[in-house]
Amino acid sequence: MSQTTLASLSGVRKRFGKIQALDGFDLAVKRGELLAVLGPNGAGKSTAISILLGLQTADEGSAELFGHAPQEIDGRRRIGVMMQEVMLPGVMRPRELLEQVASYYPVPYDVDEVIARMSLEGLLKRPYGKLSGGQKRQVQFALAICGRPELLFLDEPTVGLDVQAREALWKVVRELMHEGCSIVLTTHYLEEAEALADRVAVMARGRLITTGSVNEIRSHVSRKQVSCVSRLAPDTVRAWPEAAQVEMERDRLQINTREAEALLVRLFREDPQLSDIEVKRAGLAEAFTELTNESKGAA
Amino acid sequence: MNSVSMPASRLWAAYFGEMRFEFVKSLRTPAFAVPTLFFPIMFYLLFGIFLGSMRGNSGMSQYTFATYGVFGAMGPGLFGFGVSLAIEREQGLLLLKQALPQPPGAYLMARAAMAMLFVAIISLMLTLMAVLIGGVPLSISQGTRLFFIDVLGALPFCAIGMFLGSLVSGSASPAIVNLIFLPMAFLSGLWLPLQFMPKFLADIAPIWPAYHLAQMALGTVGAPSAGTTASHVAVLASVTLVFFLLAMRRMHGSGFRLLGARPKRTLAIAAGVTAVVLGLSLSGVIGGKPASKEDAPAATDAASAAADTPVSVAPAGVAAPATPVLANFDEGSEAAAYGVGWTAVGDETRGGNSKATQRLVGGGVAGSKGALEVTGEVGEAIQYPFAGTMFFPVGPPMQGLMDYSGKKALTFQARGDGRRYMLMVISGVQMDAIPLMVDFEAGADWHEVRLDLAKLGAADFKRVRAIGIGTMGPTGPFRFEIDDVRLE
Repeated sequence: MSQTTLASLSGVRKRFGKIQALDGFDLAVKRGELLAVLGPNGAGKSTAISILLGLQTADEGSAELFGHAPQEIDGRRRIGVMMQEVMLPGVMRPRELLEQVASYYPVPYDVDEVIARMSLEGLLKRPYGKLSGGQKRQVQFALAICGRPELLFLDEPTVGLDVQAREALWKVVRELMHEGCSIVLTTHYLEEAEALADRVAVMARGRLITTGSVNEIRSHVSRKQVSCVSRLAPDTVRAWPEAAQVEMERDRLQINTREAEALLVRLFREDPQLSDIEVKRAGLAEAFTELTNESKGAA
Repeated sequence: MNSVSMPASRLWAAYFGEMRFEFVKSLRTPAFAVPTLFFPIMFYLLFGIFLGSMRGNSGMSQYTFATYGVFGAMGPGLFGFGVSLAIEREQGLLLLKQALPQPPGAYLMARAAMAMLFVAIISLMLTLMAVLIGGVPLSISQGTRLFFIDVLGALPFCAIGMFLGSLVSGSASPAIVNLIFLPMAFLSGLWLPLQFMPKFLADIAPIWPAYHLAQMALGTVGAPSAGTTASHVAVLASVTLVFFLLAMRRMHGSGFRLLGARPKRTLAIAAGVTAVVLGLSLSGVIGGKPASKEDAPAATDAASAAADTPVSVAPAGVAAPATPVLANFDEGSEAAAYGVGWTAVGDETRGGNSKATQRLVGGGVAGSKGALEVTGEVGEAIQYPFAGTMFFPVGPPMQGLMDYSGKKALTFQARGDGRRYMLMVISGVQMDAIPLMVDFEAGADWHEVRLDLAKLGAADFKRVRAIGIGTMGPTGPFRFEIDDVRLE
């Protein structure tokens, strides 16, 4: 499988006053993948995407979109964009908005096709300003895909959507990937990244911490979560060097640990009645927290 | 990597679609459409036509017609850029458009085109109301000129609006735009002629761009105006350029590339197209016509009846001879000291039936040998008749120009049948410029008529074509004598 790079940032630095938003950031988006960019607020996600879209210029380093500088229109004719916090003209109807955005592209989808695909038929009579928050997001998503993009940038696409609408949007995202569209997704919903992403890039403090598949990211993380029913007091366990973090949830003891095996041996020794044991590898959320905390510690 | 090229037809369609989108959007936004579209039309109907007709002042009807058109030309640019740009800059729409492959400059072009289209609608509506309801005398050529003055006149206000929109917040922008729009309209004399204003306000009026547009509009409909077309165009073009560049700098500083990745190339193409369009409209429609300098807003048919001959260069006339004497009629001839002499004229060439004849008579002023007697009859075939005698300083008549700007006063002796007569100075580059007219009474005894040229600002004394003495009515027979005409 050829791994053509569609968009890339290399060695990018960007400073806003005293804040170093990006500090030598590298990122490459390959053809056909869905790359989720994760990171806490202030990690530099939106700055990185802004530079890839040509909305800002890097102080140092380079950005490319389909082999062009992002400011050049040629590269941008092959992308679709859904941004957070954009207010579209409220007096215009969804079809008019779609026709306008589609007109910017060389070979867009038929507007009716997009309307059908996003099930917007029921919204066409109303001006955009009269739509609900979720309906507006659906229209914005339709605008992002109407140009038949090869690369789609989605910034928090499902904020404000109910579960059904979110599932429906995910379905379209998967279809688009199946048709060969590459996607860069920035999201706060880790489950969204887990559900969709081929690859995750974790950012913190303006740098790329790690990148890999969801499973690889998880495996980076040595922590496991042990859950059990025990008569041991949480404070007792908390004092053990094997336990990193201990919480009592209802009647269950939740223990975060790097040494699951040693912890289990000690638990059985101290409480032979120990029951109902579960051992889980950490999810993306825990992995993410740990990775970004480590970077903070290292810095 | 395969490249996707945008077919030219799709690119044009995108620019055009953007304009249509912008127009529909503006039309559906009451906060924009009501003040820009309906206020000038409604105000003109109320204050220009109904109130004007009650006053019964025909001079005012042309004034208000011209100035409300300028008021209408201000709004769409100021609000379209000032308010919408401020709001869309804040709401992220401008940023999204920049991430999307919106063609370079489409945002600005669509907005400017929308503003000009709104102005075109306003201008046409006002013209229809002025002619059909207000009874404002207006020729097709005047109407066309005014239309282009208003529509192109939207551009400086687009640039000012753009500058404001780049500066202020979306929520503050309507208030700020109104704070500039309404006072500027008032201070430029759009609602109330400047002579009714405190002198210092009238004196500083030329600092407002709307004042310059108004003077061009007033000159076009034959109302009194000041300055030349060239000076007004220069001021308005400079205002447009300066505010546009300031706004672009400010937007660029905030990371907005309104003209795409290669702003200079886009700007050069846009400037080229604009220059061609402006050049064609200015030379073809407005021409090198200086805003006519006229005291009395009469004789508009003189402007419309004459051919439109745009003259782009405006040299001064031949230097006037040192002698102050134009004619004393003592040498047994009707000839003047120079030039083509005195010629009796009627208005037959303009389709009228007024006639005049002239002859030398004895018994000039202060016992001098001769005087020139002019007799005839004023007809009623045309609206603005004229009969009398005319002096052409440089031949051929009406073609040659003489520079009298070094002279201070025009004096002559007159007597006659007790009617009121008119001294007329035809001057300026344009053949159809409305002449300066000053009336005087010719009683039974000789008396001197003296005109201080410095106080007659409304004629172009650098370029005098003819000096006439005669009558514009009332109809019927007339007789007067003149003697000892001097320019000193």
